[in-house]
Amino acid sequence: MAMTDGQPIEIRSVCKAYGSQIVLDHASADLAPGEFVAVIGRSGSGKSTLLKLVGGLISPDSGSIRHGAHDLATMSESELTTFRRRELGFVFQFFNLVPTLSVRENVLLPLALNQVPQGAALRRVDDLLGRLGLASCADRLPDELSGGEQQRVAIARALAHEPNLVITDEPTGNLDADTAEEVLDLLIESCRDHNATLIVATHSHDAAARADRIVRIADGQIEPAA
Amino acid sequence: MRRRLLGRASWRFYQRHPWQLLLAVAGIALGVAVFLGIELANDSARRAFEASSSAASEQTTHRLLPVAGPLPEARYFELKTDQRWIASTPVIEAPVLLALAGGQRLEMMLEGLDVIEEPSVRGLSGVRSGDADLLRLLTEPLTVVLPQATANAYAIETGDSVEVLAGDNRHEVVVIGTSELGADGQPRLLTDIATAQELIGTPGFLTRIDLRLDEAAAGALSANLDPRTVLVPAGAEDQILGELTRAFNTNLTALGLLALVVGMFLIYSTISFTIIQRWRSVAVLRAIGLSRGELMGKLLGEALAIGIAGTLLGLLLGRELSAGLLELVLRTLDDLYFRRALAASEPSSLIYVLSALLGVGATVVSALIPAVAATRRDITSASRSRLERNAHRLARRFALAALPTLLLAGAILAIADRGLWQAFVAIFLVIVAGAMLVPLGTHGLMRFLEAPAARLAGIAGRMAVRGVTDSLSRTGVATAALAIAVATVMSVGLMIASFRASLVDWIDTTITADLYIDVGPELDSGLESSLTAIEALPEVVGISRMRVARTLAPLGSFNIRAQAPGPEGYGIELTAPDDVTAEALLDEERSVVVSEPLAYRLGLEPDTALELPTMTGIEAFRVAGIYRDYNTAGSDIVIALDAYRRHFDDQGLSTIGVHLAADADADIATAAIRALFARDRDLRIRSTEFIREISLVVFDRTFQVTEVLRLLAGIVAFLGILSALMALGLEREREFAVLRSLGMSVRQLFVQNLAQTGLLGLTAGLAAAPLGAALAWLLVHVINRRSFGWSMDFIVAPNAVLAGVSMAVAAALLAGIYPAFVGARADMGLAWRDD
Repeated sequence: MAMTDGQPIEIRSVCKAYGSQIVLDHASADLAPGEFVAVIGRSGSGKSTLLKLVGGLISPDSGSIRHGAHDLATMSESELTTFRRRELGFVFQFFNLVPTLSVRENVLLPLALNQVPQGAALRRVDDLLGRLGLASCADRLPDELSGGEQQRVAIARALAHEPNLVITDEPTGNLDADTAEEVLDLLIESCRDHNATLIVATHSHDAAARADRIVRIADGQIEPAA
Repeated sequence: MRRRLLGRASWRFYQRHPWQLLLAVAGIALGVAVFLGIELANDSARRAFEASSSAASEQTTHRLLPVAGPLPEARYFELKTDQRWIASTPVIEAPVLLALAGGQRLEMMLEGLDVIEEPSVRGLSGVRSGDADLLRLLTEPLTVVLPQATANAYAIETGDSVEVLAGDNRHEVVVIGTSELGADGQPRLLTDIATAQELIGTPGFLTRIDLRLDEAAAGALSANLDPRTVLVPAGAEDQILGELTRAFNTNLTALGLLALVVGMFLIYSTISFTIIQRWRSVAVLRAIGLSRGELMGKLLGEALAIGIAGTLLGLLLGRELSAGLLELVLRTLDDLYFRRALAASEPSSLIYVLSALLGVGATVVSALIPAVAATRRDITSASRSRLERNAHRLARRFALAALPTLLLAGAILAIADRGLWQAFVAIFLVIVAGAMLVPLGTHGLMRFLEAPAARLAGIAGRMAVRGVTDSLSRTGVATAALAIAVATVMSVGLMIASFRASLVDWIDTTITADLYIDVGPELDSGLESSLTAIEALPEVVGISRMRVARTLAPLGSFNIRAQAPGPEGYGIELTAPDDVTAEALLDEERSVVVSEPLAYRLGLEPDTALELPTMTGIEAFRVAGIYRDYNTAGSDIVIALDAYRRHFDDQGLSTIGVHLAADADADIATAAIRALFARDRDLRIRSTEFIREISLVVFDRTFQVTEVLRLLAGIVAFLGILSALMALGLEREREFAVLRSLGMSVRQLFVQNLAQTGLLGLTAGLAAAPLGAALAWLLVHVINRRSFGWSMDFIVAPNAVLAGVSMAVAAALLAGIYPAFVGARADMGLAWRDD
């Protein structure tokens, strides 16, 4: 489904402010294809803003973000939508599953949006659910699942269409320690299996320690963590 | 401090959601405005009617009338010999024509007065005001006083002469001054009794004697009455009109209350939404120690503030609305009942107080249910799924409660089988029962539609359908509110359509002739020879004759329609008995058939007796049958013309029906008839088409006020669904943000949201169809029957039902455009946040 195959991501001199509050100030960074990068920083430092910028959910005030040959700043709204649909997967802290859809349907959703033929899509979904240990709850609704199960469904949904980049914001922040580790294992393994770049914003040192590289956001800058 | 903090929290919530506050205020304001507007218009019209009635009689308490024909003047002189009845004055009333310059003819009521006695008995301020010295009427023969408006309109000045035509009588009279119009709005040509007798050619006869009597004197006079006269209370004729107008006003009030009920649903849904939106805060407040009472106080305080704001706005709007509604109400009453111009009167200021109390009260009562529900909720289980499970359980309970509610409505209708207000209470219960069934119906329909929607639009279709059921706590109320509004609009539409179809049918049955000639005051003499000549015309196959006379009987005032039928019979559709014709029934001696409204009002059935004042005194006539009649006077009796002439000593005619040959040209026939009467300008000949057309124009005009109210109820409902959809959209913003993050385009999300609102509309429309039909049935067979005594055919026009369903879908789609757009443009950053 991905339009590109393992493209590097270049963040160049990006500025973003909310009113008078400057969050990113000429921040730059590079992400290699298939790399797992952990983003750390204090609350309000701009971790989520960086993820939204990389995911094309918001635009920088200045600077550029490139996914391979694609400069997000020059893309139209519909191009950005298509880009997200094909290239990106998201995992949120609060799972954000569609409450009206079953587990199988939630995972099917990105494939349906990408117009994957139904038969192939269902095979892909069932395969993913099996691998993530969710086969038994495929027909249940999200609010019938535990937090850990819901986050596994969110991971399955993020990976269903084999994106190049998976963006996750505190994916384990809402889970107990054992479940958090289990979910993180799944996420990392799944991304590696698909050679997807993984960006995780986290406060967890344990989670960050699993990353190929850790960057810290402080004073509006993206710096390598010590 | 705690109260202030809670108040601040509420205020800030509404500051963040101003549209929700605005819609709630607008809903209440519209509900109050419609109710107030109708009540002000009703009250003003009622006062105008009362003023008109009292102006016609003023100090007069009783009237002495002949049972048939004119009243000999000797009766008046006999009265004057007894001190008990000394306060009496003779009156002559007769329609005449004024011949004006340029050949114009103006029909006017001639009123002959005893200018000496009249002020002490009647005190007619309307006719006495003006610049005329009324005593000159007595001292100068053939003098008249003209209404000021007529004198101005036709440039007639004091001292001018005008010609007065009455039958074959023509007289030049001198205008000695002008008077104001009477408060009853009738232009009257005033003159002295003797001059009036001369002008209309009835020397020695009066129309009636007006009296001012106490009860004892009235009783004594009744006991000593000549059998050819009858003593009736002044204003007896207006009693029937009063009943009919009260029924008309009650119907309007009920429609106004209905708008308020729809407004209440709007308030209920808005307050419910605001509580659901703050459910987590509510749970936190309860967890940190806010008591149930304090929480209830906070929520009801909010409702009270919203109610007061909405009510104040509603009072302002209602005052403006009443002006437009009053015009429509007065015109309708004028068209239907009075046929005299009614002037608006200042309504009672108590109506403002009542409307304010209703507005604020309705708001607080509507908020009570969600507020109680909020205080009873388990504070440890704020989960959405728990809430929705409760909603589904509640939907099932509501559906179960609908049956006893319907049974209660049926019981009320059966027990109070003539009560109008009880019928409206039953209708209200049917509406409530319908609303109770809607949430479960919504759930059922969505389950049914899920598979087809998924086949049609894949996962997006499935999401659209499930979005409705999974938010049943919100969609159920919104759909019920819309269904009620649409059902109301649909039911009134179906009732009007049924009524119109029945009216057209009735006109076709009743109007059997092709042309109708009105026999005015100038056509009395030599009429029979003219009729013979008409019958001899080659175009004519026959004529029918009709005399219409107003009579006051012991049971009230009736219109007697004495008919000699033409080739196509009486043109009467009997509703009872059903195995005979009117021709057969009216052939029998002392038989009459009575109109449905009269039969209903007096409880008459076939083979009961009805007493009528004949020339030999009060006589009992057999009610041989009951016929369908939509004449709004509501008190018609039909009798054979021959029988009428034998019993009532009245040889006059009012209308001639001319039946033409199938191939005859109506215009040629009309010209030939005019030539026979040799009075081109004056003869009033109306074609069947004209009468039919004018009847339908009046009918349609009558229901204009209803149309306005339907529109207003529709606007309230539209606001309701808009408010619900906005709240739903707000609640699902994060879900929309996630979908957008996953790659759903703005267009896809917009279409999905709009499809969901369309489904809500479809559900409301489908629920409204049976409910609307049931309400229409009640309006046709219960409300109209109890209000006016009319029966009519109940017709469920598929087009009207389809239009109702379409209206629900269209209203929902229209209301859904903005929320769908806002939802589709949801800030994707919301996916990062907690609730």
